[in-house]
Amino acid sequence: MPDTRTALVNLVLLLLLVAVVLSSLSMGTVQVSPLDAVKALAGKADPMTDFVVNELRLSRILAGLLSGAALAMAGCLMQTLARNRLATPGIIGIDNAATAFAVASVVGVGLALAPSAMALAGAAAATALAFGLAGANGTRGYRFIVAGIGIGAIAGAVTQVMLSRVAIDAANAAYPWTVGSLNARSEQSVQVLAIGLVAGYLILLAISRALNTLQFSDAVAIALGTRLKLTRILGLALSVLLTGLAVSVCGPVGLIALLAPEFARTVSRPGKVPLTASALAGASFMVIADLLGRTLFSPLEIPVGIITAIVGSPYLLWILLKPSKRSLT
Amino acid sequence: MIASRSLFPPFFAAGFLLLLIVLASLVYGAGPVPVSDAFAAIAGGGTGEARFVVTELRLPRTVLGLLTGLALGLAGALLQSMTRNPLAEPGLLGVSAGSGFAVAVAILFGATTATLTTVVAQLGALAGCALVIAATRVQGLGNDPVRLVLAGATLTGLLLALTSMLMLMDQRAADEIRFWITGSIAGKSLAMLQATLPSIAIGLVLIVLAARPLAAMALGEKAAVGLGHHPGRIRFLITVTVALLVGSATALAGPLIFVGLVVPFIARAFSGPDIRRTLWLCVPIGPAVVLGADVISRLIAAPAELPLGVVTALIGAPVLLAIVRAGRMPSL
Repeated sequence: MPDTRTALVNLVLLLLLVAVVLSSLSMGTVQVSPLDAVKALAGKADPMTDFVVNELRLSRILAGLLSGAALAMAGCLMQTLARNRLATPGIIGIDNAATAFAVASVVGVGLALAPSAMALAGAAAATALAFGLAGANGTRGYRFIVAGIGIGAIAGAVTQVMLSRVAIDAANAAYPWTVGSLNARSEQSVQVLAIGLVAGYLILLAISRALNTLQFSDAVAIALGTRLKLTRILGLALSVLLTGLAVSVCGPVGLIALLAPEFARTVSRPGKVPLTASALAGASFMVIADLLGRTLFSPLEIPVGIITAIVGSPYLLWILLKPSKRSLT
Repeated sequence: MIASRSLFPPFFAAGFLLLLIVLASLVYGAGPVPVSDAFAAIAGGGTGEARFVVTELRLPRTVLGLLTGLALGLAGALLQSMTRNPLAEPGLLGVSAGSGFAVAVAILFGATTATLTTVVAQLGALAGCALVIAATRVQGLGNDPVRLVLAGATLTGLLLALTSMLMLMDQRAADEIRFWITGSIAGKSLAMLQATLPSIAIGLVLIVLAARPLAAMALGEKAAVGLGHHPGRIRFLITVTVALLVGSATALAGPLIFVGLVVPFIARAFSGPDIRRTLWLCVPIGPAVVLGADVISRLIAAPAELPLGVVTALIGAPVLLAIVRAGRMPSL
């Protein structure tokens, strides 16, 4: 059955992303017209424009695009598994833990692994801990979320300890990770993220039918032929993988994982898990937030994590404080 | 009816523990003064260096720690009783963050006097309390502790982001704010103490006035009205008290998270649900927790020091997890 609405939504979001990327390529301290930006991408512009667009901006925008897509997909996945739209990796402390581990790698405490690997380890550790503390209820119920808040607080404190114990240069090098910024990315982390994102997306496409059935009760999902345990474990593992890799590039920009799936869900066809739409929306949001951070108070640059927090938190507060008949958790 | 146990044994045990911690706070430090010299200095003798370190550096710090712990412990107990939520804590609900953001703004605009900082911190705390008030008025939120805490965490995140933005704008202010925001009672002047003492005293008087009605409110709002109390007025009074206490504590020590959670949690274990008994026990336990955390912060990484806020977070977060782990959410 052809699904025209999903295709249409994805197409519109893709066009939006292209527009956002083009404007981000052309705006900044040096203004370039969008046409020149396209020419530069094709390799037909003058050397100056070519340098600004291809050397300075393109890699940064790619990093933002990839990490935004990964965070949004991870958030959408976690929300689906927990059947709770508040259960995103940022809220349950995975971001903070991944950050603590990545900072440990940057300032040279403990294992000498690359930030990507360390961030992954941190994300996995936090998830395991949250599950252990949540007990038999799994991801459902309030315990999972409150446990996550506690884990996030501990990870944040550990990050502070490390930053206060090392030389000021190392602390400055690790600073972007404490707020979320695209400045600290290493090309290697971005490459690892790109590979992880593509692999994760393909696996998710393969299990998308099973994920859709998770929106019903367990009994219905089983009756529809879903292998519940396998789907849950696979989905959770992918969510952790995507979050960890994204954090190793951009730091804890957690609210993207909440906002993008929320947006995708309102525009998509109900009854389906909007993974592709979330990824496209997340990529757009991240690039827009970074563009705002670069241009709003230029020459001062506001890290992307601060922008998303200032824009996203009021929305989250609104969700939380809005009177509702049923409990969210 | 269950006969209530006597409060005296836990109260005196906590008081004795506090005395030991005060002594430890005077005697142990990250500096190179030997413990025996520090004891001699307390007795009035000792070397000049030891006397200087003990009376000029450690004594003010100890007094600040005592007051901070007192204010935060009491504020936490009040807030939890008013919202009927064992997780309601000034640090978690955004009250401390509101206070911290206000002080950061004041620092950016060049405020240096202790009185001004204190007043600004209290106004910020009052604004932070707005969330708590708004939240308790929203239908159904009173029975949903997690949503309240999540809202608080979100508000805290928002305020921290705004504070970070202020820090980007001015390098000088950034250094000052960064030192202050992690929470510390080291190197603070006694002028700060003079500025906050009146508010803490007023807060204590308000608690004495509000304790009985608050205990009545624990029976339910209708019962409280029947007993001749006005729930709206009591809530207003408690909110002002919490803002005064948290603002003072934040002005003294920076935004400390989890103290207001840990202290009433321990106190309730001995006092039972009656808020008046809990408040009494918070008096020795609050200072003991903050000062104990401060001693740990000096010793754990000697000769350097950890920020106090980091130590309280590391102590408090496991308590939060323990509350969550303990089967059902304890109801207040």
